[in-house]
Amino acid sequence: MDKIKNWVVENHDLAFAILLAICVYGYFALTNEYFATHRTGFAIMERFAVLGLVGLALTLCIIAGEIDLSIGSNAALAAVVVVRFTDSLGAFPALFIAVSISTLIGAIQGYFIAYLRVRAIVLTVGTLMLLRGVALFAAEEKTVMLTDFRVPDFISTKMLWYFSPASLLVIAMFVVVGLFMSYTRYGREIYAIGGARKEAVAAGIDLKRPMIIVFAISGLCAGLGGCIIGLRSGTAQALGLQYVLLAGTVAAFIGGVSILGGKGGVIGAAIGTLTVNFLNTGLVFNVTPAFMVQLYLGVLLMIVIMFQTGSRIFDDYQRRQQILFDVDARKAPLLARKAESLKRQ
Amino acid sequence: MSAPITQPTPNWLERMVRDYSAFVVALVAAFMVIFFIGMATAPNFLTLFNLKTIIRDAALVGIMAIGLTFVTLSGNFFLLSLKETAALSIVAFATSMSAGYGFEISFLFTMVIALISGMSQGVLIGLGGNPIVVTLGAAGLLFGLGSYWSDNLVISFRRPHGAEWLGTGSFLGLPNITVAFILIAIAAEMTLRYTTFGRQVYLIGANRAAGKATGHENFGMAIKTCAIASVCAAFVAIAFSAQVSSAHVNYFSSEFGSSGDMTIMVIATVMVGGNSIMGGYGSTLRSSFGAVFISTVDNMMVLHGFNSGPRVLAVGLMIVFSIMVFALVRRGSRSQE
Repeated sequence: MDKIKNWVVENHDLAFAILLAICVYGYFALTNEYFATHRTGFAIMERFAVLGLVGLALTLCIIAGEIDLSIGSNAALAAVVVVRFTDSLGAFPALFIAVSISTLIGAIQGYFIAYLRVRAIVLTVGTLMLLRGVALFAAEEKTVMLTDFRVPDFISTKMLWYFSPASLLVIAMFVVVGLFMSYTRYGREIYAIGGARKEAVAAGIDLKRPMIIVFAISGLCAGLGGCIIGLRSGTAQALGLQYVLLAGTVAAFIGGVSILGGKGGVIGAAIGTLTVNFLNTGLVFNVTPAFMVQLYLGVLLMIVIMFQTGSRIFDDYQRRQQILFDVDARKAPLLARKAESLKRQ
Repeated sequence: MSAPITQPTPNWLERMVRDYSAFVVALVAAFMVIFFIGMATAPNFLTLFNLKTIIRDAALVGIMAIGLTFVTLSGNFFLLSLKETAALSIVAFATSMSAGYGFEISFLFTMVIALISGMSQGVLIGLGGNPIVVTLGAAGLLFGLGSYWSDNLVISFRRPHGAEWLGTGSFLGLPNITVAFILIAIAAEMTLRYTTFGRQVYLIGANRAAGKATGHENFGMAIKTCAIASVCAAFVAIAFSAQVSSAHVNYFSSEFGSSGDMTIMVIATVMVGGNSIMGGYGSTLRSSFGAVFISTVDNMMVLHGFNSGPRVLAVGLMIVFSIMVFALVRRGSRSQE
């Protein structure tokens, strides 16, 4: 029992995320008799395959103290590329090409962010537009479509009640990235440049390497997510997939990242995404229009931000009080000594 | 005593060699060459009618960009909720107009809603929330509210209505929206240059710590600048609604004008105009020219017969180009981080 208590105190963000996920799931499971079935579970995992990747990518970016706004455009570009090439080259080469392009784009972004020393939001808002243009160009301003529908069928084959090849791939991706972030030097460098960039650079970390790695992983996730969504539906639009940014950010923040960087982890990203997916799927069950989902996500993000900002202000206040208290404590004996010496005179 | 050492003042060429790297000069020169070749070869480009078209196209994005410039200059990056604010405003305006309230009341009603939404975002940003994340959340919220309110339907109001003069009227041969754009540009520039508030915007943007030390907190500034940006977005929504006599939340979403969604176009305008995105350096005049410039390039490409893909690509290239030039030119100066 003590162990659990200690864990909760140490990882209160993660504990809160798990609690929230259970609450959301429990609410829908109790109000809807079909929600807690393995069919719904499969649907949730299918959504997880795409949103989870975006949530993972944004989590890593926010851990590094940056945010990747171009993730939707990158995913849309990958979707367009994979759908265009699948008919002529087959699914796997097309997937490889699309994911490599996205990863390369991400790496180039990371390089320029470190080289130009600009904030990522500045550069990625530019590449958001640029990649959208490239995607429009690649799709020739049309909705591209598959003609052979064996690939979409394969991707959403049901395995082990809950999983499909896509969601298994994404889970593997989560495990690999999680191990990478926790147990390798490069992963720890990402935490370092997010939590304390000046100190990290002073300690000898080259800013370029972690930046390139973070944005390459972000591009890889975006590309993979775009490919999964493109191949599953068999169509792709150059201007689509812009909604993933909001959902991914909400997932990352529920998962316990801090906008100041250096906090959070892959497990948090998974739980955050699952929470968002429970909400999404549950709302669909209750016949809620799509824009209401956006409304709820917006409200959720605002609440999380308010909590974070509030707790930061409270922390600052406490620290200031502590400093004042310390100063007083040090002052008191000095003042007493002075009063004594005055008395002696 | 030695004679004071003086050097001859460098002329513009020497200054350019001293201040800018060869790479930057080459980039700018290449861009200028492409621009002028494009301008010279585009059919019917250099006519008065086309000039008017360019400015009219620039007006709506330009007005929003002028509002956003205040936010950017004060060091709060940019708002990702501009088109959603506009979407909520356009629904509010059209609902009020179709219910039979006159133009004035509808205008005020819309402005009040925009003010409330802008100021509440400003409060969160001022308290220390990250502007991008706050406005990303607000975007979802406002868009959802707008859709819920209008039930995701097109609201239309019948002509003749009280807002026609704004949407389709003209003054001295210029459409009234263009006139409004010019007036707002002048007013904003005057505010920034000659009022205390304007100087405070620059101070807080250039050096947050110095601003705080001299008693100019970002809290009030974030609220004020976000309110300005939201009001400008609402004005654009009203003008657009007056033009088409209807409203739908998706009017500002995809495919507005030529290039994707409105928010990114507005941010592009602010960046291409040459404002420092870190704050403290730039002006609304630059944003206005940025709007006209983007519109010029777009117009040129349309005359050359390009589809929307290359045009969006061109805008994206312009943003990335301006970021790179800006970062390279300002390397090592304080306004970088």
